[in-house]
Amino acid sequence: MKLGKRWSAPFIIMIIAGTVIPICSIVYYGFTSRKGGFTLSNITAMAEPEHLEALGLALLLALISTLVCLILAFPMAMILRESKYGKQGFMVFVFILPMWMNFLLRTMAWQVLLERNGVINSVLGAIGLPKQQLMNTPGAVVLGMVYDFLPFMILPIYNVVSKIDNHLIEAAYDLGADKAYVYRKVIIPLSVPGIVSGITMVFIPGLTTFVISNMLGGGKINLIGNIIEQEFTVNSNWYLGSGLSLVMMIFIIISMLLLAKFDKTGESSFI
Amino acid sequence: MKKAFSSIYMVIMMLFLYLPIVTLVVLSFNESKSMAKFTRFSLKWYEEMLGSRMIMSAIKNTFTIAILAALIATIIGTLAVIGLDAMTVRSQNILLGFNNIPMLNADIVTGIALMLSFLLFGVSLGYKTILFSHITFCIPYVILSVRPRMNKYTDTLFEAALDLGASRGYAFRKIIMPELWPGITSGFLLSFTMSVDDFIITHFTRGAGINTISTLIYSQVKVGIRPSLFALSTVIFAVALIVLLVVNILPGRRAKRAALEV
Amino acid sequence: MSELIRLENISKSFEDTNVLNNINLTINENEFVTLLGPSGCGKTTTLRIIGGFVQPDSGRVYFDGKDITDLPPNKRNVNTVFQNYALFPHMTVGENIAFGLRVSGKPEQYIKDKIKYALNLVNLNGFENRRIDRMSGGQQQRIAMARAIVNEPRVLLLDEPLGALDLKLRQEMQYELVRLKNELGITFIYVTHDQEEALTMSDTVVVMNNGLIQQMGTPEEIYNEPENAFVADFIGDSNILSGRMVRDKLVNINGVDFPCIDGSDNGFLPGREVDVVIRPEDIDIVPPGQGILNGTIISKLFIGVHYEMLVKSETGSGFEWLLQNYDSYDVGEKIGMYVKPENIQIMHKPKSEAEQAIELDL
Repeated sequence: MKLGKRWSAPFIIMIIAGTVIPICSIVYYGFTSRKGGFTLSNITAMAEPEHLEALGLALLLALISTLVCLILAFPMAMILRESKYGKQGFMVFVFILPMWMNFLLRTMAWQVLLERNGVINSVLGAIGLPKQQLMNTPGAVVLGMVYDFLPFMILPIYNVVSKIDNHLIEAAYDLGADKAYVYRKVIIPLSVPGIVSGITMVFIPGLTTFVISNMLGGGKINLIGNIIEQEFTVNSNWYLGSGLSLVMMIFIIISMLLLAKFDKTGESSFI
Repeated sequence: MKKAFSSIYMVIMMLFLYLPIVTLVVLSFNESKSMAKFTRFSLKWYEEMLGSRMIMSAIKNTFTIAILAALIATIIGTLAVIGLDAMTVRSQNILLGFNNIPMLNADIVTGIALMLSFLLFGVSLGYKTILFSHITFCIPYVILSVRPRMNKYTDTLFEAALDLGASRGYAFRKIIMPELWPGITSGFLLSFTMSVDDFIITHFTRGAGINTISTLIYSQVKVGIRPSLFALSTVIFAVALIVLLVVNILPGRRAKRAALEV
Repeated sequence: MSELIRLENISKSFEDTNVLNNINLTINENEFVTLLGPSGCGKTTTLRIIGGFVQPDSGRVYFDGKDITDLPPNKRNVNTVFQNYALFPHMTVGENIAFGLRVSGKPEQYIKDKIKYALNLVNLNGFENRRIDRMSGGQQQRIAMARAIVNEPRVLLLDEPLGALDLKLRQEMQYELVRLKNELGITFIYVTHDQEEALTMSDTVVVMNNGLIQQMGTPEEIYNEPENAFVADFIGDSNILSGRMVRDKLVNINGVDFPCIDGSDNGFLPGREVDVVIRPEDIDIVPPGQGILNGTIISKLFIGVHYEMLVKSETGSGFEWLLQNYDSYDVGEKIGMYVKPENIQIMHKPKSEAEQAIELDL
């Protein structure tokens, strides 16, 4: 006994209007030349050195940020898991709170800290050290990505790690394993679903960002996201922008498929 | 030894997460415009913020869009869950596959795709296009939180209600809705948060002359940060802190009180 | 049989709760010892102290004469079968069993043979490559056993391993466990709250309550000669009453004198207040007036082999006796009741918990 299918009608309309048509639009523009005919040049434009370089840099910085997040987040998740039960809720709260602040403001905060006349440089000056060029470097962009996305790595890993039955870890010790072995063979393999969704949630926004690179790179760090954004907002070349977006989507799909291979269970652990 | 490492690590992470925020809060009370020196305590940037028509209208837009988008997405999403329940597994999977696209896709692609389809159909960009886009990306989160509550158990409850003579409408209102309610509220809150926090999709679908908090910050940062933005940050942080505290602590307290009353 | 494990003055508390109160316990080689008691009695904590997962607040643990109190679990020659089995969900059956062997760096051929041997031992031949979540509860239980056994521990610790299984499977596994223990010739320390399980399988039963050992002995001793009212109540059905020694080998219960076999020799001096346990199956039904006391049947239940009846006694305070008998009597019928002197178990009244424990140590 069920209620009717027709209740889904508004949802299906929204899927068509909000997902299917927009995707068709971007595909249409991506394969259309400025004069209106079919073309592949918007797609092949990714091979131009300028675009290739931006894509490569985006891949590299996103990869570094993801790795740094993973290295920082895993011990964090384990510490949270092992903290006393009453304290656990509070600690998770502390790590979620910054997530609730608009990410532009969080990125802006780093701009304030890193700028030539910013907080860090004035602290350096006060203790007699020379000013450093911190802003507009790839390092600043990576820092911004790590800062903005770190909670998205901690949470899914924590969600999985906190559910690992303590008896499993005890069983491994009971069978003679030392700490390193327990991590290698039990804890890390069991955390894979969390690690995979953490990587997805950091790598893809990192790969496609234009905001962080714009705010902390000062127009000197051009990622593929920046190139695409400029095609729409500055150059008004929607055709080229769509084509490049499609190629970037392919990279997203590839990375998702690669990650899905690691996570056999296939269920996302981030809620 | 191990404990010491944990504590030190926690403190470093805390500093990393909160130092930038604390900096903004401190600078928001700084009389001077300098980002390096704290000259004197002052509330003038808060005054500037309150007096700025741009900031105020951005705040108003952000929240009206968030409330409307969350509300509409919650209604459509909840109805969708009920309808999906009556479908074959195959059609459910197809629809849920499409449903997941905005959640998995990069925001920049979603934003561009929406913008292009608006332009293709001659819809001029503005408040309505932002709202529509926000509803689009909120629905998946509503379905994600409501669907787990619609299961075999709910079906049995529904049948039991009909067996006891309830009409379908009555059974839906009195039995299904209360079962779904926790999922519906969390779906609404999740949508609201996602909408308030969104920048990228709004950036592409907003058109000229209309700003949300996010787009305003972005355009301001490009021309030079004014400390009134620090004041805005502080207010947003304080609101988030209070809301999260209320959400996290009240239920615990209520549970405690309920336990005492028993 | 020589001593293998000795717990000496072990105490442990969690937060403010005293879980173990100065426990002393000796376990011999090749013994099947069961720690029995209600939940929260400290039995699992005792097991975890032996396994090395919990550090006692005070006291020492000796294994084969050596102090192992501070040794971590991975350095102890004991293995545990966990309550929920704790099988690694990301590994196959074979990988689970091989875990301990791989840790100790055994050659692959040896590991392969061992897996075969262990699976054969638990009747799961050919299941090496199955996934854990494809196995039933009973099979998982056997795998957990196999995973522990292959490491050739001298002691196997079992924490309510049959708790999650249904009745029939549980009874089957009880035989299996005894068979395994005899085949392996190692010590089993078994934790359960199920008295039937404890009586069926063990060489020695240790009854625990409130962090204290209440009684330790063979299943027969525990059942037939409970040392206090708690043990009597926990093991099987029983009538537990207060009584007073009239003279040597005569006890007065509710105003009726019963001949018994305990007396001054065991310290039950005349006039002493005592607890008395009479098992329901030890009360014989005789024609009214021919027994020690008369009563009226007030309820009757058929529970399989025999009938269980409640009999309200005519004399004294009208105590309701629990009787088990193969013959059926009608509700309202008047009967006489007789108890043989050797079936009356006289016990000292507990004074305080601590005192009780000291007494038991003697």
